[in-house]
Amino acid sequence: MLTILVAADPAARAHIVPPQQLHPVATSYRRIEFLLNLNPIPWDSVHLDLAAIAAQLESFDTAGAVDLRKLGKKTLARVAAKDEDTMPAADKRRLIAHRVLSRTTRTVARAIRLDLDTARANLADYSSASAHFERARQMWAAFEPAIEAAQPAEFVRLGECWLAMVSALGYPGLEGIGVRRPDTATFDEESGEIVEYLDANFIDQVGTQTRGPTLPRLAALPGVARDAYSPGQRLPPGFNVNKQIPRPRQILGMVTRGVDERETPLIALGDMAFDSALIFGEPARSLAITCNTCHNKGVTNPNFFIPGLSRIPGGMDVSNSFFGAHANNGIFDPLDIPDLRGLRFTAPYGRNGRFDSLREFIRNVIVNEFSGKEPEPMLLDALVAYMLEFEFLPNPALEPDGTLNARAPAAARRGEALFNRPFANMAGRSCASCHDPSDHFLDRKRHDIGTFRGAEPDSRDRALDTPTLLGIKYSAPYFHDGRLATLAEVVDWFNDRYSLRLSGSQRMDLSAYLETVGDGIEAYEDTVYTLASELEEFDFFLSPYELLVERGETNLIDTTFGTIAFEIRAHKWDVQDPANLPLLDRLAGLMDRARAALAAGDLSTTDRMVNEYRALYRSNAGILE
Amino acid sequence: MKHSKTLSRIATAVVVALGGLMACGDPTPGDGEQAATGEPLRIAFIAYQNPDQLLESVEPVAEYLEAAIGRPIKTFAATDYAGIVEALKAGTADVGFMGPLQYVIAHQQSGAVPILGEIYDGSPTYLSKIFVRKDSGIETLAQLEAKSMAFVDPLSSSGYLFPLETFIESGLIARRQDAEKFFRKIYFAGGDEQAIRAVLNKFVDAAGVGQYSVRLLRPEEREQLLAIAESRPIPSHCVVVRSGLDPEVTTALQTALLALNEGEHHGLLKNLYAVDGYIVADDDTYAEVANLARKNGFLK
Repeated sequence: MLTILVAADPAARAHIVPPQQLHPVATSYRRIEFLLNLNPIPWDSVHLDLAAIAAQLESFDTAGAVDLRKLGKKTLARVAAKDEDTMPAADKRRLIAHRVLSRTTRTVARAIRLDLDTARANLADYSSASAHFERARQMWAAFEPAIEAAQPAEFVRLGECWLAMVSALGYPGLEGIGVRRPDTATFDEESGEIVEYLDANFIDQVGTQTRGPTLPRLAALPGVARDAYSPGQRLPPGFNVNKQIPRPRQILGMVTRGVDERETPLIALGDMAFDSALIFGEPARSLAITCNTCHNKGVTNPNFFIPGLSRIPGGMDVSNSFFGAHANNGIFDPLDIPDLRGLRFTAPYGRNGRFDSLREFIRNVIVNEFSGKEPEPMLLDALVAYMLEFEFLPNPALEPDGTLNARAPAAARRGEALFNRPFANMAGRSCASCHDPSDHFLDRKRHDIGTFRGAEPDSRDRALDTPTLLGIKYSAPYFHDGRLATLAEVVDWFNDRYSLRLSGSQRMDLSAYLETVGDGIEAYEDTVYTLASELEEFDFFLSPYELLVERGETNLIDTTFGTIAFEIRAHKWDVQDPANLPLLDRLAGLMDRARAALAAGDLSTTDRMVNEYRALYRSNAGILE
Repeated sequence: MKHSKTLSRIATAVVVALGGLMACGDPTPGDGEQAATGEPLRIAFIAYQNPDQLLESVEPVAEYLEAAIGRPIKTFAATDYAGIVEALKAGTADVGFMGPLQYVIAHQQSGAVPILGEIYDGSPTYLSKIFVRKDSGIETLAQLEAKSMAFVDPLSSSGYLFPLETFIESGLIARRQDAEKFFRKIYFAGGDEQAIRAVLNKFVDAAGVGQYSVRLLRPEEREQLLAIAESRPIPSHCVVVRSGLDPEVTTALQTALLALNEGEHHGLLKNLYAVDGYIVADDDTYAEVANLARKNGFLK
């Protein structure tokens, strides 16, 4: 949520100096640090990042580059073993990981020291000194999050050292104006502080110490701590949790029938929870991950990507050691984010259909996948109630029984015949046998069609739930792991897998059929500017307040207030007229005060704050349009 | 802030070696339907980060201008203002993009004149603001006495000249040189983001930066900062032509860029630093900047 704005803003406004990009060394270092703390460790990715750092060091720290290349090669050879006999044991693997991080840390620290030394030696030559200095400062960013989390006071002290050094570099001026001479004494002193810190924390002691700022999370690796979150934990460079733009159009069944969400408190509560990171535990909560992060507007998020947890954009391993260490299954098994449209027709849930009950599925997401506390029964009821309202997109080319009508293109109708044709190589079945057009293009069964690799030969662990074809035009990529980018590739896959011997034009017809069945009216919203609608949504979120008070659901009231305040602050920068910012601050402030009053047991103040919020919102709703 | 020289220093050596500018694009005369003929118009752009990327993104603009002006366009990217000012002075570039303070210096040095100002967020001016952390308890400029202060660089309009003037106007310091005594420490952070992050991270107590600097921060980071003062409006960055450029060409360029404010080519503005549009500007537009610069010893 937060990152959306960060990414969207400067990109759209390039004439504002864009945010500094992390130096490739810092990028790769931070990612390595993240990856090495995963279980399993994605060694191939670690290897790539080691190589990336080495490539950067090549030009000024050859020894460091050689060292990292050797390290990468040697490590990969040791950990690459796939069979149990040669694979190092778990504790051994952790030791290897620790060594890789230690040596990478030392190498990067030395590179920073090297650049600082060069800058110091070249202070008389501004362009050379500033180039080396700037690279050192940018590489330093590799360590900043770790230092900030572990030694906040040192983080500030060292930060000021870097500032003092920039000033001590002097300034070349313009046409002889604004020139400032370098200040050698200050530069010496301040860079000396940095070098001393690097030596003490990142160079000399590395290899012996197993905790401290160098390796802030490695020490806390599996064990597995109940809550593996440590303050300052961030997603690794390269992540993208921005929502897709344009936004998918969400169709809530009761809303299309003219119902105001404020009249359906349980659904409104579910809507709030779907947008709330507060129902999860750490680190999802601090990273503002919500249901809506992956299922934008109840659909998918083709941009979603977290290095080490995703294989390709649009998916993630949900049983991982980062978001839910206690529930990690130890396997890297990323899944494509499924579209939730028409959810009430698509049981069982999960790509392998592991939950028959939506309620159980949601509970597992909250408690296990994202480390949340046990949800209140009412919260689960609310999420279920809300998600049962998710409707498929209307599709005028489909008859009620799922057959195509005259609105469908001719190619699609030719494809329909192929879709229904039994194939000997599919044991006399047709595509429609599983994707039953008369029943939302699914059969609620699990089949092994050869897309999932079993644990061993002839194992019986490969079946996956038949997905619906409705809406698939808008939910690429395809298959449980998102391995295929287009529907045409899906057709090709089946053609090859079952030797269907379809001609080129038949395959095109079948693709056209899938495109038509998977189509729908107005799949996306046409507005990018969303503040007004978001604020209206927060009004919905607040609508169950009286019900929650009546039921004594204090926790849910707290979650509601917290979510609204957080969301307003996250969205407030979308406001077109900055004059309206104070209004948004006041709205968020009222939610803060309501929350504080609730915590203090002062329910009359809580009531008053809620009423003030509602009054303030309603009297200003028009202005924010 | 705007066109400041964040990250540009690394490339300085390269730029100097190439005579201040990196050329590219090289739009070949005559590949349009109406062949543009005559001397090419040489435009120097300021690149924040990646000169190659910048040159690629302004290519459609060059094509548009070529057709509109009827002259071949040659584009260059400079990674700092020195490159642009130098090129305008030496006559190796005809047109340059720069900030207000750079302009008044360029004007004095070479007689270059602005023809257009940028409109951003609907305004041809912007502000410099003094930011502190909300939790610092600091609410007034006076409370910054004996505190540490970050500016952007010594030749920044919104990141030094104007915020400094804000302190002078408030009566806390009499002239630029007094700032060293008023503050415990003054740092030049080297960029807008570095300056504002220095406050956020508590490396310094306050920073004087352009109003848009906060956009470089994540929303929850912005929440932690507070602007306790703002400068008088600063005329925005400008399009400058060298002294002696054919007035007809100057007018044609001005007209062509103004035409981007609306109509079918409006979209090209996103390749031109994503400004909202342009407004006619001349030396008078920058008179106040020149006064301030003179007062602070930046102009003779």
